Amino acid sequence: MSNVVIADHEFGSRLFTGTGKYASAETMIASLVASESELVTLSLRRMDLQNNSDNILQPLQRQGMKLLPNTSGARTAKEAIFAAQLAREALQTNWVKLEIHPDPRYLMPDGMETLLAAEELVKQGFVVMPYVHADPVLCKRLEEVGCQCVMPLGSPIGSNMGLASRPFLEIIIEQSNVPVIVDAGIGAPSDAALALEIGADAVLVNTAMAVAQDPQAMAQAFRMAVIAGRMAYEAGLGEKQVKAQASSPLTEFLGALS
Amino acid sequence: MSERLTIHLNDQEHQFVGRTLQNLLDDLGREQQGIAIAVDQQVVPKSRWVHTELTSGSQVYIFESIAGG
Repeated sequence: MSNVVIADHEFGSRLFTGTGKYASAETMIASLVASESELVTLSLRRMDLQNNSDNILQPLQRQGMKLLPNTSGARTAKEAIFAAQLAREALQTNWVKLEIHPDPRYLMPDGMETLLAAEELVKQGFVVMPYVHADPVLCKRLEEVGCQCVMPLGSPIGSNMGLASRPFLEIIIEQSNVPVIVDAGIGAPSDAALALEIGADAVLVNTAMAVAQDPQAMAQAFRMAVIAGRMAYEAGLGEKQVKAQASSPLTEFLGALS
Repeated sequence: MSERLTIHLNDQEHQFVGRTLQNLLDDLGREQQGIAIAVDQQVVPKSRWVHTELTSGSQVYIFESIAGG
């Protein structure tokens, strides 16, 4: 099975993961280890000066995971660019998951601001991974301004509704020259497997693993689903047919009984 | 070095002993890995923390990495 390459970095796992929503830092780290994910997202926030927060960086780095800061909280291109610059300092990486959502209710990504920010961040030397609607035109534009991949959504963030955007994802996958990572809405391992089967290069999963009753077991289930999905894609799925096609030869050998 | 400086830190008035950004961080005694700092709307790279002099009323924001999707 082939590996996925983004900006010359090769990932052995096509399962990318988020670190949010876990009951504890220990559960999060154990689950991500079980997932065998090699790319994990993090957020930035203003430091809480009253309370020390869990140090999650060192355990993640010790596992050899690549850290991917996001620009969560940014509502405009200007804010996202600032957030990316801060993240570059905080995590010493020029990789950024660009996400801009002005609306806190549905967390819909703002495509216009995302394109503006992406273009500027590419110029500033960032490896830009933009989270966007499953909009084939926008994904093409993002590729043209130099994004190293695109991250279209399957369905709203945290909704567990799966690949509601499938027909559009298929167009994006068909015409993209950069890796396509399905992000958001993947609620079950079968959703992840389907994304890989239809040719997505990777998926990003957070909520479905974090809120499972047993996050570690769910992480393993996702790990296997992603492998199965990719393997099936590379093996070449059979065409769908309306009519039945027998798997066994239809011979007349029972005819003597009638 | 013993003079106190009053700045705005994450939108709160804050006093510390010293002059530079690094003095402020040492005074806070917090984890210095995985953080980023902006002074007066400009991101200050870690290599410049020791050289960045704050003045009375400087607007300082310190950000930390947290879990997120």
